[in-house]
Amino acid sequence: MKHLWIYLMAAWLSLPALGSDTIEYPASSESGSSARSLIVHGALDLPYVRPLLDDFHRRHPDIALRYRNFTTLSVHRRFLEDEERADVMISSAMPWQYRLANDGYAQPLETPNASAWPAWARWRQELFGFTFEPIVIVYHRELAERFGPITSHADLLQLLETHHQALQGRVVTYDPARSGAGYTYAIEEVRLSPRYWDLVAAMGRANTRLVDTTGEMLDGLAEGRFWLGYNLLGSYARDVVETNPDLKMAIPDDYALVTQRLAFLPRSAPHPETAEVFLDYLLSEAGQRVIAEQTTLGAVHPALQGPGTAQALRESLGDALRPIRLGPGLLATLDDLKREALLSHWRREYHRWLNLP
Amino acid sequence: MRAPRSLYSRLLVWLLLPLVLLGSLMLIQAYYDARRTADRAFDRLLEAATLAIAEQVQWQNERLWLDLPPAALEMLATGAQERVFYALYNGQGEFITGNARLPGDARQDVESGDTLLYRDIDWRDMTLRQGVRRTRLEDWSLRERFEVRVAQTREGRAALTLSLLRGNLAYIGVMAGVAVVMLLLAVRSALAPLTRLRRAIRTRDPRTLAPLELPLPRELAELRETINELLARMRRVRANQERFIGDASHQLRTPLAGLSARAELALRQDDPQAWHDALKAMRSTSANTARLAVQLLSLTRLNNPEATPELVTTDLDRVARTALHHAWHACHRAGIDLGLETPDTPVTVRGIDWQLEEALSNLIDNARRYGARRITIQVSGSPPSLAVEDDGPGIPADKRLLVLRPFYRGTSDGEGSGLGLAIVDGIARSHAARLILEETPSGRGLRVSLRFPGEIS
Repeated sequence: MKHLWIYLMAAWLSLPALGSDTIEYPASSESGSSARSLIVHGALDLPYVRPLLDDFHRRHPDIALRYRNFTTLSVHRRFLEDEERADVMISSAMPWQYRLANDGYAQPLETPNASAWPAWARWRQELFGFTFEPIVIVYHRELAERFGPITSHADLLQLLETHHQALQGRVVTYDPARSGAGYTYAIEEVRLSPRYWDLVAAMGRANTRLVDTTGEMLDGLAEGRFWLGYNLLGSYARDVVETNPDLKMAIPDDYALVTQRLAFLPRSAPHPETAEVFLDYLLSEAGQRVIAEQTTLGAVHPALQGPGTAQALRESLGDALRPIRLGPGLLATLDDLKREALLSHWRREYHRWLNLP
Repeated sequence: MRAPRSLYSRLLVWLLLPLVLLGSLMLIQAYYDARRTADRAFDRLLEAATLAIAEQVQWQNERLWLDLPPAALEMLATGAQERVFYALYNGQGEFITGNARLPGDARQDVESGDTLLYRDIDWRDMTLRQGVRRTRLEDWSLRERFEVRVAQTREGRAALTLSLLRGNLAYIGVMAGVAVVMLLLAVRSALAPLTRLRRAIRTRDPRTLAPLELPLPRELAELRETINELLARMRRVRANQERFIGDASHQLRTPLAGLSARAELALRQDDPQAWHDALKAMRSTSANTARLAVQLLSLTRLNNPEATPELVTTDLDRVARTALHHAWHACHRAGIDLGLETPDTPVTVRGIDWQLEEALSNLIDNARRYGARRITIQVSGSPPSLAVEDDGPGIPADKRLLVLRPFYRGTSDGEGSGLGLAIVDGIARSHAARLILEETPSGRGLRVSLRFPGEIS
């Protein structure tokens, strides 16, 4: 069972793999012997993290910063195997991060920024969600031309039910059995509404392709192989959609899951002081402004308004936003039996129309 | 030696000490009560969570199956965001699923129905409250046993304990405050009569010796009575002193008036022989008066309790010889036979030699004046004593106490001052010696002895 998870996680959210890529910022020569070190391990691809690291390095030139990007699987495995100690752990795999914190691997951060952090995006001063990334639908221009725009799950269900013949093989989504992210979203959607099973059945009827990553979905959409992708990570999709006029991105307005990157300070951090400085920076208005203005990750800080912030999304979508709750419910997500139960149910619904006589 | 503390602080310490002790006990009790209450409240969550999980346990694919309801875990994380752990074990104690391999609980099952056990455990450096539910699947043909274990950290319980305790703390604090204030007032009011007594004594006229008249509680009334007794004694002493002064001035006035009258008479005459006679008489009178003044002075000195010289080792033999030497001339002139009897070994006592000499010379003088022809000074060893024996008229037994009073004279015709025996009595008392007046063994005359306490080497 555990091995299965490892394969699943390997597929978790990884864009076309760049390997375990690393960015290093040496401490400026003026700082001399007072130079401090900082090692950040993250599952956050370099294009998204680089603006943050640049800004942080400008503010703290005396800190020699080393950022290593992994898949969520390796970042988790490396942590548990104590292979290379990190000062800050960043990952989008919310249940795994939560489980590490719940098991007592994180140390609290007691700075004003951390204390003022919104309660819904924080757990015990130990675990902080510092991004706000909606799960979105991306569809091809051709689909909109033929069937009209998609703005909600209800639209999508109706489209799939009425035009399943035309859409055979044209829809793509995560395979919950192979992708940890897809599985997490499935669990959350089951909790939100039983109609999710109708949607799964409709997708099964349209012979929806099941893939491992947002990247694969975006590639297929850009090539025109797929007309509609369901449950893509909005922060990654936004970049692609903005450069490709054929693609449109929709944040469903009936409900939209929101996932967050979670960061914590391991108790085993070799440089706890600089680690606190870095995490505090991520939660500061300055760091969050960089996220809002230079990335698509979505800033959480309540003082920030305008494009690229959670506030802006909230204003346009209101109650429809459903951030994945940062609580012990995430532990249930990781339960092996629960996973088996959900997947078998999922498979059953997916093949609902096949099994009909 | 410790400085004496005030009654007030002594009372306060002994009353406050138990109060503080009692208060601490109440605090400890309140803490444990609050903790128990918080545990009871939060244990309901463990109960509900285990029940929610147990209800989802099924038999599927030939094994125990659980579709874990996230709400079961969510309900364990209250506002305090506790860490949450859960595990499902089968009847054989094998781990089925969970996020932590929580330890089991060795306690026995209850007789009927589900068993629910709560306890505090230390697990991976965390203090957890664990709830264990043992139950069984109730299926058509299946009776599979299983065990649900959940645990949470104690932050929420600690917070509830604290808030419950805070409420109790306010209550205990108010009670303690009231108790302390009441205690202060009570002690103050209990000690108020003492202040009144002090004030009453302080505001008195220093010359008055009238008894204290003020209402006091029983304990202090005893003190007041004691003071009043002291005052009564002082009144008697003062009356004695006044009488003594009156007597003394009277005694001094009489010879001075005689002197004056004699001089007056002589001045009216021209005969030098008459002047000569008058002057001789006046010399005798003034000598007597001077002697009287000396005796008065020594009596006053003996009666002054604050001017008692220290007793030193004194040889009674030497004292007797000195007294004999001083009295010898006067006795010889009067034709009195003055003798001394001493033992072979020297006798010493704690005493003041000049006082003892004075006592002896007074006794010899008395004997001489009252017509003794033979006076013997006796020193004896066991018990140590000084005695003067004479063959004079003696003193009747019923007057032997009276003669010790100043100015009492055995006979009205004598020329004595009436102070001699009083002085001897005073000296005897200052030496803690017994003064004994008795008849001589021959049945005639008087024997006066000073018997000293104990013998010292």
